[in-house]
Amino acid sequence: MDAWFQTEVTYPFVPQDVLDAADSVRASLPNKYCDPKIAATLFDESIAEYLLCDELGINVVCTEHHAGINSLLGANPMLLAILASQTRKVQVMSLGTLVTLRPDPVRIAEEYATADVLSRGRLELGFVKSGLTEYASNQANPINNGERYWEAIDLISKALTYQDGPFSWEGKHFTHRHVNIWPRPYQQGLPRMWAATGDASTSADVGRRDIVQILVLRGPEGTKMAFAANRKARREAGMPKPTTDRFAYAALVAVGDTHEEGLRVGAKLLWFLNTSLKSAPQFGPLLPGNAPPEAAPGIYRTKPRPNAGGGGGQLSASANAQLLMNINAEQAMQRGILFCGSPDTVYEQIKKFYDTVGGFDHLAMVGRSGFMTHEETKKSLTLFGKHVLPRMREIKTVTAGFNQPDV
Amino acid sequence: MTTATQSSSADRLSVAGIELEVVRHGKGRPVLLLHGFNNVSPNAPFLQQLGDTAEILAPTHPGFGRSARPKDFETVYDIVHLYIELINGLPHERLSLIGLSFGGWLAAELAVKLGRRIDKLVLADAVGIKVSDRETPDIFDVFNKHPDEARARSWHDVANSAPKYDDLEDDELVTIARNREALCRYGWHPYLYNPQLMRWLPNIKAQTLVLWGASDGIVKPSYGEAYAKAIPGARFEIIPEAGHHPEIEQPRAFAERVSAFLKR
Repeated sequence: MDAWFQTEVTYPFVPQDVLDAADSVRASLPNKYCDPKIAATLFDESIAEYLLCDELGINVVCTEHHAGINSLLGANPMLLAILASQTRKVQVMSLGTLVTLRPDPVRIAEEYATADVLSRGRLELGFVKSGLTEYASNQANPINNGERYWEAIDLISKALTYQDGPFSWEGKHFTHRHVNIWPRPYQQGLPRMWAATGDASTSADVGRRDIVQILVLRGPEGTKMAFAANRKARREAGMPKPTTDRFAYAALVAVGDTHEEGLRVGAKLLWFLNTSLKSAPQFGPLLPGNAPPEAAPGIYRTKPRPNAGGGGGQLSASANAQLLMNINAEQAMQRGILFCGSPDTVYEQIKKFYDTVGGFDHLAMVGRSGFMTHEETKKSLTLFGKHVLPRMREIKTVTAGFNQPDV
Repeated sequence: MTTATQSSSADRLSVAGIELEVVRHGKGRPVLLLHGFNNVSPNAPFLQQLGDTAEILAPTHPGFGRSARPKDFETVYDIVHLYIELINGLPHERLSLIGLSFGGWLAAELAVKLGRRIDKLVLADAVGIKVSDRETPDIFDVFNKHPDEARARSWHDVANSAPKYDDLEDDELVTIARNREALCRYGWHPYLYNPQLMRWLPNIKAQTLVLWGASDGIVKPSYGEAYAKAIPGARFEIIPEAGHHPEIEQPRAFAERVSAFLKR
């Protein structure tokens, strides 16, 4: 088992009364509330934290979110390039450029290939389906997002591997008549690919494509369901049983010298859920494509009717977000969203989650957020790298879902 | 050549192999009514009143209401060509078009393409063109702006006219969500207009009435005036105390204006 670090480079310094008055802290909060001098410091600190991970053997993840207090990483490829160039040992993952928001996947392939060359072959490619406020910030049609996602991934994959170009692509959503990127990636063949998704249908796609599936803050039940859908699709496609290296989980993680210290610092990470998820209904439940029309009775009414329809099954991304906004530290730990405490208790929480969902080889830690300080982050990372990670590494790759019922 | 075939069913019509929900009502001159953000209710009071003057055929666009959407049906271009097929399959030599809001865009496109085949054209609170400068949106963004503001801008009398979702049945809410999804698919970008349509409006041969709700905050009356100005000989009329849906908020006034125009 290995570990990955990510920080969204959050911006918690907007006055609370402004946040309270805003109907959304993403997409529509004016950028006059973002002080570029503070942003510069945040970037410096975050890059230093990533470089500390390089020393500690914790792989690094570069995420992307747009236009809000939850993240300053709208221009994800720029941080990716810095990490690719300045780290020396660890794997560098983009999780990821939001491919459905960009009009030309070939440009993304160019950025990825360049990052892979800069890192001399340490790049991993994570793909996120995007959603909610991101559509408004990027003028991306929320309908057809899934189709664009896979078509963009297919085009990027071909652009990264095809060496006898130019080739032409005239797909449903993307066209490019002259694809021939320079430089090509440092790695021979495709870098390892990841997909961050939790719904059953995309989980099945991810399984059939044999790429690493990462569940972000979904808790044990949602994660188990998604992993099961992945394994089932593989079995039905006649593929061999997957191993745990095909699965990953992302949680908020904080480590202190004592359990109490870890708990105190870990509680600060919840800012990401409690404060930075606030978004207006047009960026959530009412966004077309966010939930099937059949779920409308549960979404449009201000109060539910007894026995009325409402979608059922898995939570939509916005319903999941609503649930996360009201969570406290204890609940977050119970729900497998927050792993925090001393090195011993953090390891126990990770191992328990691992056993509950049937195993995964990669833990992505959201290791800094909100008002957690740079010093707290460095200490937490150091304790994790020295006292938790070595024990995680003893967990070897096995058949995924080893303790789960057959699907 | 006629490829459209009409089924005998009162509420379904098959056009080019695509099954459409339709509302038929009234007697008189043939009118194709193209709906806006939501499909037309068969019980809409304005339909009852218009039915004294016109034989109305109101199909539900593919993906809206209970009309299926073929998987490869993605753009306004597809809907316009479907309705050309529909019109070609009708027995009438000439017919009139009424387009409401989004349907007004479709009606304007059809009137440009079909020339004298369309004798009269009514555009009510239509979208479809770009009027203002590049930094002034003409059409309120019903997807990216708060739903309360969208509601306030849609109706003259919000309290009495706006649908109350708590009181609607499940199937009605599902229809509203389907309509919203379909509108998003067809109209997301450029947002509810065709950058080239303005260029071709002068070619419209039909007599045209542009009707507008005085309180429309989705597309303002000045947009309607610009629409009318671009179509040769078009009249522009305001319906007082109505927002973006004058046919619902002022059904009598709407039906009277349209009937008078159709009879002229």
